Amino acid sequence: MNKFTKFNLMALVVGFSFLYVPIILLVIFSFNESKLVTVWAGFSTKWYAELFNNQSIKDATWVTIQVAFISSTIATFLGTIAGIVITRFGNFKGRTLFSGMIYAPMVVPEVIIGLSLLLTFVALAMDRGIFTVTLAHITFSMCYVAVVVQSRMSSYDDSITEAALDLGSTPLKTFFVITLPIIMPAVISGWLLSFTLSLDDLVIASFTSGPGATTLPMKIYSMVRLGVTPEINAVSTILVGLVALGVVSAALINKYQKQQTNPQT
Amino acid sequence: MKMNETIKPFIQFRQVTKKFGDFTAINNLTLDIYNNEFFSLLGPSGCGKTTLLRMLAGFEKPTDGRILLDGEDITDIPPHLRPINMMFQSYALFPHMTVEKNIAFGLKQDKLPSNKINQRVDEMLDLVELTEFAKRKPNQLSGGQCQRVALARSLAKHPKLLLLDEPLGALDKRLRDQTQFELMNIQEKLGITFVIVTHDQEEAMTVSNRIGVMDKGKVIQVATPNHIYEAPATKSVAEFIGNVNLFAGIYKGFNDTGSKLQCEHSDAVVYSSQSIDVDIGANIWLAVRPEKLEISKTIPDSEYNILKGQVIDIGYGGSFSTYHVKLPNGNMLSAIRANRERTSEHSITWNDDVYLHWSAKSAIVLTN
Amino acid sequence: MPATKLNLINRIFNGKNAVIGIPYLWLLVLFLFPFLIVLKISFAEPIVAIPPFSSFFIWGESFWPTIQASLYNYIFIIEDSLYINAYLASLKIAVISTLITLVIGYAIAYSIAKSPTRWRGILLMLVILPFWTSFLIRVYAWIGILKTEGLLNLLLLSLGITDQPLTIMNTNLAVYIGIVYSYLPFMILPIYANIEKLNISLIEAAADLGCRPFKTFWQITIPLSMPGILAGCFLVFIPAVGEFVIPDLLGGTETLMIGKVLWLEFFANRDWPLASAVAVILLALLIIPIMYYQKTQEKAIK
Repeated sequence: MNKFTKFNLMALVVGFSFLYVPIILLVIFSFNESKLVTVWAGFSTKWYAELFNNQSIKDATWVTIQVAFISSTIATFLGTIAGIVITRFGNFKGRTLFSGMIYAPMVVPEVIIGLSLLLTFVALAMDRGIFTVTLAHITFSMCYVAVVVQSRMSSYDDSITEAALDLGSTPLKTFFVITLPIIMPAVISGWLLSFTLSLDDLVIASFTSGPGATTLPMKIYSMVRLGVTPEINAVSTILVGLVALGVVSAALINKYQKQQTNPQT
Repeated sequence: MKMNETIKPFIQFRQVTKKFGDFTAINNLTLDIYNNEFFSLLGPSGCGKTTLLRMLAGFEKPTDGRILLDGEDITDIPPHLRPINMMFQSYALFPHMTVEKNIAFGLKQDKLPSNKINQRVDEMLDLVELTEFAKRKPNQLSGGQCQRVALARSLAKHPKLLLLDEPLGALDKRLRDQTQFELMNIQEKLGITFVIVTHDQEEAMTVSNRIGVMDKGKVIQVATPNHIYEAPATKSVAEFIGNVNLFAGIYKGFNDTGSKLQCEHSDAVVYSSQSIDVDIGANIWLAVRPEKLEISKTIPDSEYNILKGQVIDIGYGGSFSTYHVKLPNGNMLSAIRANRERTSEHSITWNDDVYLHWSAKSAIVLTN
Repeated sequence: MPATKLNLINRIFNGKNAVIGIPYLWLLVLFLFPFLIVLKISFAEPIVAIPPFSSFFIWGESFWPTIQASLYNYIFIIEDSLYINAYLASLKIAVISTLITLVIGYAIAYSIAKSPTRWRGILLMLVILPFWTSFLIRVYAWIGILKTEGLLNLLLLSLGITDQPLTIMNTNLAVYIGIVYSYLPFMILPIYANIEKLNISLIEAAADLGCRPFKTFWQITIPLSMPGILAGCFLVFIPAVGEFVIPDLLGGTETLMIGKVLWLEFFANRDWPLASAVAVILLALLIIPIMYYQKTQEKAIK
């Protein structure tokens, strides 16, 4: 019953092929000599060269990086607090609403979130640009961070916190000296998750951004609408490569940390 | 250790109630614990003993009532400001700190100079015999070693009171027995008051000066281990501590022999030397511990407290044997007898007809 | 100040409440409040102005403003079959995609859970990796595959499986493929987390009592992994209903999903009030699944 059967193996092979073949093809064709993305004409890196000369792409990349960094950092801060509040603060007044607001953004369609935020910015007479996109990204990212932190906290031994209090450490100090270091891997995962979500967001950015603040996904989207070219493949490959690097190193760091701090549970 | 009523209690629970929503965990409880005692809170799961301990530590606030420590009302003081330390059931060692740093943590909160801290940490490491492990992290220690670190950490600040929450539960029997004696020695040596929560009655009896038996949020009886065992206040205490034979019946009065009980469902009349203040005809119980029941194949030489039955089962325990005897009225009694001889023609075996006998002094009477 | 009032203020502004307050306030202002604004604007009319909708409050001489609201947009939506069809089509596509994703996702999650322990970390990472890669890029990748001159047709034609190129691109089928592909990690992860925590001894007990493996799977494993299944389905279904990028890039003119409708009303037609009304109705349709999802998550915490 618990044997790893041929069926299981097949499911994994088929499943992972399904997941990865499109990406692999994408990468391959970014090195295509010709302009087509379906007929191989030889190996060439010219599309990457074109990328480096494409100012609008470079600008968009810079905007995206700024937004991603700033929004992830603030989102991690807010989301960590929210995650701890949800797990530790018991039944406070307004808890249902709070938890609703934490889980909803993960499932509410992006077009609704984007529209509502834009209308809010208009109502508050705010000019749309990098600032508003960042605010929007913080808002939905913090919920993902909260969920990651909440998940970590649910397996956190509360008696460790109690022990610290018992030994004379104030609640605030306990959080910084005991709790935070222990859940740090989860907090960092939260940051990485926010970063990726921000990097990747098209819909909400389209609604909440403004002139001069075109993000990379927005730029790619407009390029796609004009026609499929290997230049898009090249941009995609770079992004995929960076993300892969990030995820693999995060996983390795996580594994290393686990060996260092966690007892034999 | 004799309890002198004129000594002021060190810990006082005054009419403490704790409710969790609709559920009452602690019900109007009043309890005194004295300085330098090794006091156990004993009871079945859910009796409220852990809640009581946590209220003492400050992790739960009483819904009603006050808690006093050394005369001072600590009910509203948060845990990090109480001169009390706790040893947790899960040890709760800080996983990202070494053994040394774990023990030093409490001392650092008091902002002691570092040389004093180091000195104290070394003292503690010495006390629990873990000096070579100072630089290790918790995940590099065995269960028993973790427990010692937890103990050292909780004693480092020399608290007025040490609370122990089922500290020996995770240890195997041999280590548990050894640690029990170590705890007793440390408590006497350092002169700190220990309050321990446990569901293991053997443990409570071994280590404590006094035991508080709890059930359903109330303290049923507070007494020395000896008293609890030989003079339980209620049926539930008698049944919870050790094994006991209970005879239900009707009170028939008191004479030279003692309190007389007419057994339920039988003709037998049994006696206890203890006097009791109930009306004749009231329902009472007689309790006799199995080791006080003499079992023999021949009729004992006595006028009363003799019952005849058949051996249904025998449990061999090495140094002693437990005999389960069925009476004609269907009741089952258990008698324990030391296996004094290696082999004997007088050995009792299955299906033997036997006589059970006890002295009136060995039985006590219970009303509830 | 009387002692009780001071006490009350102290109790409200104590440390604990301040901590709760920070994320709470942020979400109230930037998540909840925006929905109210959408609601408000859905009652407005489009005008040529900046911003392009009529005011809700008209401030006149009296202290209280008069409210200018109309149900015009809602009536328009209800009467025009385009919108109703779009809502229904979105629900249908989302349901079917969710089911397909469930079948594939469960198979993968189950297989990972049963695989040798040393593989699992890597396998999970391989599942998560595409999720961290850009959504847009992954959808884009499928364009190259599904086009008439695309790689899939190339493969099928060269292998002789078909003699005419299949038209998959710009059809509903492409949308299904796109949604399943993009949302697969969202289904796999909760199910995997659930199966991994399952007590193996329950399955062993069933086997011990004579239950055949297939039956054990249906009667024990599946019901026990239900929380994971539900979480995965919510995580796929709810956002899929309002999905925009996939129908836009992979779907055709016949594929009118409500997310795309909203986008077009807003960006192409500049009709903010109508777009708002579309959003409100969409949210109303999804509110029950959303609340249900939140309930299951809360339960998981307790």
